[in-house]
Amino acid sequence: MPTYSLYMGCSVPANYPNYEASMCLVAESFGIELEYMEDVACCGSPNLRAMDYWGWVMVNARTLALADKKGHDTVTPCNGCFGSLKDVYHLLKHNSEYRRKVNTELKKEGLEFQGTGKPRHIIEVFHTDVGIDAIRKKITRPLDGVGIAIHYGCHLLRPNDVTEFPPRILDELVEVTGAKVIEYPLWKQCCGATVLPVDENLAIRLAYDKLKSMKEAGAIFATVVCPACCNQLDLQQLDMKKTYGEEFNLPILFYPQILGLAMGFDESVVGLEMNRVPAGPILQHVSD
Amino acid sequence: MTDNTDQIGPPEVLIDPIDMSELNPNFRKEIQSMPNAEALSACFACSTCTAACPIANIWDYKPHQLIRMILLGMRETVLSSKEIWLCLTCFECQERCPQAVRVTDIFFDCKNLAAEEGLIPSSIVALGKELIENGQLYVVTADWEREDLDLEPEVPGLSTEAVKKILSETRTGRLVKGGD
Repeated sequence: MPTYSLYMGCSVPANYPNYEASMCLVAESFGIELEYMEDVACCGSPNLRAMDYWGWVMVNARTLALADKKGHDTVTPCNGCFGSLKDVYHLLKHNSEYRRKVNTELKKEGLEFQGTGKPRHIIEVFHTDVGIDAIRKKITRPLDGVGIAIHYGCHLLRPNDVTEFPPRILDELVEVTGAKVIEYPLWKQCCGATVLPVDENLAIRLAYDKLKSMKEAGAIFATVVCPACCNQLDLQQLDMKKTYGEEFNLPILFYPQILGLAMGFDESVVGLEMNRVPAGPILQHVSD
Repeated sequence: MTDNTDQIGPPEVLIDPIDMSELNPNFRKEIQSMPNAEALSACFACSTCTAACPIANIWDYKPHQLIRMILLGMRETVLSSKEIWLCLTCFECQERCPQAVRVTDIFFDCKNLAAEEGLIPSSIVALGKELIENGQLYVVTADWEREDLDLEPEVPGLSTEAVKKILSETRTGRLVKGGD
């Protein structure tokens, strides 16, 4: 299995070590080498893109140039980082004027954007490079067909000409664990994370609608692959009883946590107790 | 034929007419010169973007109207609108546009122009300040949680200097300095 440059971004390591740990464990069992990138920090998020396009381009172009130097594809567990890296990659691949400007700046640091290593989301690597068949062979404790709703997240799917991410990858990855994918009307809708700093009530309302739609469709659990989406759907869920008088009690798990459990990893090593809405009930759906 | 000789003055209209003297004919070119906005003028106002937007119902100016306003040159109204900052950046509008207008990208362009003029929510400038001071939006505080999961307490490879340096020399730096 090939080696990848791992770009963590800031939110997963600070807020969701359970996502980081379960991702690393699962990757290791498939023989995937994830090398933490050196000398990088935050992608800036869509809010940086809104206030300072050029600064956002430079920050992410530099990350891509560092990955080029290593010669591996860059993988990230965060939709925000994925969206930023993919968008800047797309820009620099198609806009020679920006590419020239960016490389003039990067040259001062001895770097150059070449675009040889592609930015990718870790779950796409699981799906494409490991493959569903190889994953199936490692499932030792399949789930019992329990209903899981999927939230892909906007910046993973759209704009699709930039992200190139087909919205069936996570469906197949969830199905292979033995769980049943629950379809729900608002599956494409935004979690509200980007607008949180500008209008908190609106952001929470979006998360509320999303959870309600999942729950009404019969989801017992839901899965996410982005720390910002998890903030919205898991953490914010705790306050919804106060604001909306409704308690969904819908545990939100990162996909590698679900896969890890189905592969026989213990609940403690996938950090199940860190999930805000208690996720322990999933253990009743994992076969012995 | 209807006899309307009694009518005096302009006819009643549903919306206030646009004051032509306030239009900026260069606005569309300004936007079109920005990234991903080339297809702006292909908009034929079908409102598909508005139908796709999950929050258009709470916007005074709907997405298709904002695009039309840009084409008309209503620069000040667009750049000072609350709507551009309420955009979820979910890209639903852009994904569905039958004319390949990159609506969400264009709203990003508008926000950049607005920010340049200081028309930016203070909460967004505060995020810029975080980036300049810390090089990241979230900083590891509970390192024992990482250790409990056999992760390095400090994120391997993390170095915030480059991000701080880049952004202190771009618009983020100017906005943060201006806000102090």
